[in-house]
Amino acid sequence: MLQIKELKAGIEGNQILKGINLEVNAGEIHAIMGPNGSGKSTLSAVIAGKEEYEVEGGTISFDGKNLLELDPEERAHNGIFLSFQYPVEIPGISVSNFIKTSITEKRKAQGLQTLPTKDLLKMMREKMELLSIKKGYLSRNMNEGFSGGEKKRNEIFQMAMLEPKLAILDETDSGLDIDALRIVANGVNKLRTGDNATIVITHYQRLLDYIVPDFVHVLHNGRIIKSGGKELALELEEKGYDWITKEADKKWA
Amino acid sequence: MGLIKNIKSYSEGIQISAEKREILTSFLSNGFPTTKDEEWKYTSLKKVIANEYSIENKGEIIDSSIIEKYSLGLKNKIIFSDGKLINTPIIKGVNINDFSEFESANTDSILQLNKALSQNGFTISVEKNTVLESPIEILFFSTTVNGFSQYRNQISIGENSEVKFIERLQNLNNSASFVNHFTQINCAKNTKVEYNKIQNNTAESQLIDTMNVYQEQDSTCNINTLIFGGSFIRNNLNFEQNGSNCESNMNGVSILNNNQLADNHTFVDHKSAHCRSNEMYKGVYLDNSKGVFNGKIMVRPDAQKIDAFQSNNNLLLSDTSSIDSKPQLEIYADDVKCSHGCTIGQLDDDALFYMRSRGIGIEEAKAVLTYAFASEAIENISVEQVKTLAKKLLAKKLNVDLDFSL
Repeated sequence: MLQIKELKAGIEGNQILKGINLEVNAGEIHAIMGPNGSGKSTLSAVIAGKEEYEVEGGTISFDGKNLLELDPEERAHNGIFLSFQYPVEIPGISVSNFIKTSITEKRKAQGLQTLPTKDLLKMMREKMELLSIKKGYLSRNMNEGFSGGEKKRNEIFQMAMLEPKLAILDETDSGLDIDALRIVANGVNKLRTGDNATIVITHYQRLLDYIVPDFVHVLHNGRIIKSGGKELALELEEKGYDWITKEADKKWA
Repeated sequence: MGLIKNIKSYSEGIQISAEKREILTSFLSNGFPTTKDEEWKYTSLKKVIANEYSIENKGEIIDSSIIEKYSLGLKNKIIFSDGKLINTPIIKGVNINDFSEFESANTDSILQLNKALSQNGFTISVEKNTVLESPIEILFFSTTVNGFSQYRNQISIGENSEVKFIERLQNLNNSASFVNHFTQINCAKNTKVEYNKIQNNTAESQLIDTMNVYQEQDSTCNINTLIFGGSFIRNNLNFEQNGSNCESNMNGVSILNNNQLADNHTFVDHKSAHCRSNEMYKGVYLDNSKGVFNGKIMVRPDAQKIDAFQSNNNLLLSDTSSIDSKPQLEIYADDVKCSHGCTIGQLDDDALFYMRSRGIGIEEAKAVLTYAFASEAIENISVEQVKTLAKKLLAKKLNVDLDFSL
């Protein structure tokens, strides 16, 4: 589904990603872990198409398409979803209106008819239940005055509504208490099918107790320096990052 | 030539009182304000008054389909054609008449001209204890090519009454019409008034609108100004609070493009204690458009416990648009709450990317964010039809096909 080859990217002349290789197939969950500043958020921003980042080399293909040629909205129409580490507040637009616009635009791009409001509201109610979201929430302004947990839940709610092929969860767990974490993880697990895939970007092993990955990658200084199964996350939790980063630093020095 | 000469030759052929002749003579020797006047520092009338205007208006019959096109479909309609009052509704408790003379306190030269030569306008008096369910719609049509017209309107609201108005000036040709519009509203005790101005005239039209509001105790007056169309708009909105527990609210939305200029000058004179004023002006500027905001708040020595809030937020969406914004607070009482804020910014790149990453195209995302920016002021309007129209005009102006309702 997603193939990243030798991806090099940076911002304002600073190279942050120094040659990323990653392959994600349908049905898989990949965790990308790493210390602060290793390039985790840059990788997600580049996949989603944030324009401030310059791609200096390498390729990203998604379902055979050259992703780097597409605008952020076209990437979304093709099935990519990024759950933001810091969801943006948009005062003046209600959650329901935002999601309606988002789904309408996606369907328009896919050549589908507009979903009748009745069906849309029904779908919203179902997904809200899945994420234990209370009723009044739909008429609140997008992320405005939301707690950290509410913002993250709102991200997963949008993901549930947009039904992406590939979801990238950027630090979705940071700042969540354990109850909110369970709800969010439970939502992600329930949305999982054999046709979609998830990349979980995280700092902490804790989330991976709830969203169990098939693959774990360690990102350090712009490169994936180690990949393994879910047991790698446990090892990192126990030993920290130093034992692999030191070795990598020697190699790339 | 130009407007001053047009006015001069027009005035030589008419009969007016000695008092008016004196006011006119004074106006003609002083002329229109220039950018040397503090109140007109950022807004130049030079181009507006350099044009040739036709002052004698014809007063053509307006086809009902045209009235329908520009009306919000409300049943109470006051309609003017080139200054002539052509329709008045019959409403219980409301007396609507043609122009009549009244004194106005403001002495700026534009009002002097209005006082000296204006022969047109409405006089509305609302009896005590009258609560109108349906707003009164007031339409001023102009059919004269390059017409210069002056209206002088007066509204008196009797005690405990509640009325809403919607006003629209509409040029029916594409010429550079110019209107000097003046409305005075007297709000008696315990009244509630909402006045909505839809300023969406043709591309070349020009307007100076002055409104003086006088409030007695326990009255609330809301003035909403929606600016979408017209090449030149200057609004002078003045409130005087003459009793305790008055509330004056102003909401303004300007969405400008091309070479449009819109200037909102507001003045709240807090003369009594325990009163409030809130003003929220939002401006969005595209292309070469220009905005001016000047918000003056005066709190007189005896006006204690005043709560005055003013905000002017602006979005500059092009490199060549501009805004001059100036808050002016003069506070002579010591126990008051006054705050003001002015922001000038662009659309938030993070918010744009956020929306695009959710599949919303860049133009739509910009429109949604612009709508979100302006909506706070639009949501304060209580007449649903006005709110809906404002949203439609906004989407049209931003060239997107978006439905903001759900």
